[in-house]
Amino acid sequence: MATPQKPLELILARNLLTSISTPAFLVSREGTMLFYNEAAGAMLGVPFEEMGQLDPEEWIGSFGPFDAEGNTIPLEELNLTQALRDGRPAHSTFRIRSSRGTEHEIAASGMPMISAEHGASGAIIFFWSLDEDQARDVATGRHEALG
Amino acid sequence: MRLKVWGARGSIPAPGPEMNRYGGNTSCVEVTLSTGETLIIDAGTGIRTLGFALTPDNPRINILLTHLHLDHIQGLMFFPPCFRAESEIRIWGPTSPEASLEARIARYISAPLSPVEVRELPCDVSFLEAPASEWRIGGATIRAEAVTHRGPTLGFRITDADTTLCYISDHEPALGAPLDKLQPEWISGYDLARDADLLIHDCQYTDDEYPGHEGWGHSRVSDAVTFAKRVGAKRTLLFHHDPLHTDAFLDDLHAGARAKWAELGGDPSAIEIARERDELVIEGSGDSPNSMGSTANAGESGRAQARA
Repeated sequence: MATPQKPLELILARNLLTSISTPAFLVSREGTMLFYNEAAGAMLGVPFEEMGQLDPEEWIGSFGPFDAEGNTIPLEELNLTQALRDGRPAHSTFRIRSSRGTEHEIAASGMPMISAEHGASGAIIFFWSLDEDQARDVATGRHEALG
Repeated sequence: MRLKVWGARGSIPAPGPEMNRYGGNTSCVEVTLSTGETLIIDAGTGIRTLGFALTPDNPRINILLTHLHLDHIQGLMFFPPCFRAESEIRIWGPTSPEASLEARIARYISAPLSPVEVRELPCDVSFLEAPASEWRIGGATIRAEAVTHRGPTLGFRITDADTTLCYISDHEPALGAPLDKLQPEWISGYDLARDADLLIHDCQYTDDEYPGHEGWGHSRVSDAVTFAKRVGAKRTLLFHHDPLHTDAFLDDLHAGARAKWAELGGDPSAIEIARERDELVIEGSGDSPNSMGSTANAGESGRAQARA
């Protein structure tokens, strides 16, 4: 059976993320990673086209988030998660691990999307590396150096 | 299901001798269901002449509005049934977090833009926000979904027995997206238009014109045709003509669209172009989904019947 069409706001959000070089994720209301753009793929070490959509358990297992000691942070404990579920914007810092095993400290800002038709349908999460060299590379579009 | 085009122009009415064949009135389509009931889609200036053709013995009228840009509502204030006390008019349109449908339409039908107010119309008029789920009007099932355009805008899928019409008059599905490569779930309007027996779709710009109008909410020829291919439309009616496009220009645009469709492997005759006062018969094909051009002959015969 065909996958149901995504709500328009998610379609437009994906189109936006495709067009910018700010690393960003698109997540559903349920926490499924629906899409991430090329800049995010450079940081994660694998393009979205190779990963496809990921359930929360899958992307936590693949990329994190982790705390400073390398322990997995349950999604429920991220203020970002709670805020987005409540329909509020939020900001968090944590660590992620690329597919090559490199850890990055990142800051993430999430913005919920709420439509008249679907209510809360998901969120865009912009993020950036707090590692100085990598942050500079993202700012200049040199994504190849990351990972 | 039968269909008559009362206005196929986009943006603004475009009268003039060089526009006579395709017409200058803005968006309005009359749909006659197999039960004989009538639906009207959009209320551009074409609805005025449609109103003169409607007989008072059928006072119940349903109007589906895709959105509230002026080229889709301008004719409402000049729609003759609005001024008949016996008329019962239900106007369906998109929701908005800003104001009710009635309040938004009343911005046009009110001073100083209008000599009358909505409350002064003698007819029984009601304003209904299109529900998120399917609903029925007479013998038809209607489905409305938001599509890529500027401001809250709907497309409609109308199913009458085994026949399906999809109307997406203002649509830019390829904005920021590779339309030929995207998975269907990420294509605006896909579910509405999937396997439609007739797809009425925006085709305002040529490919050469589009770069100067990207993001304006309308499609170029190649994107309209690619969208039709992706959704498996049996026939496609190109719609919402740019007000600058003369009859001769639209003849060329149509030829270009057919050539593009042929490049994609379809029968060129499945790509038609809307002309004011054209009548089409839409027949359910029962063909396998996503077949291309397999009902082109039916499309041609439908138009031939109407023009006979």
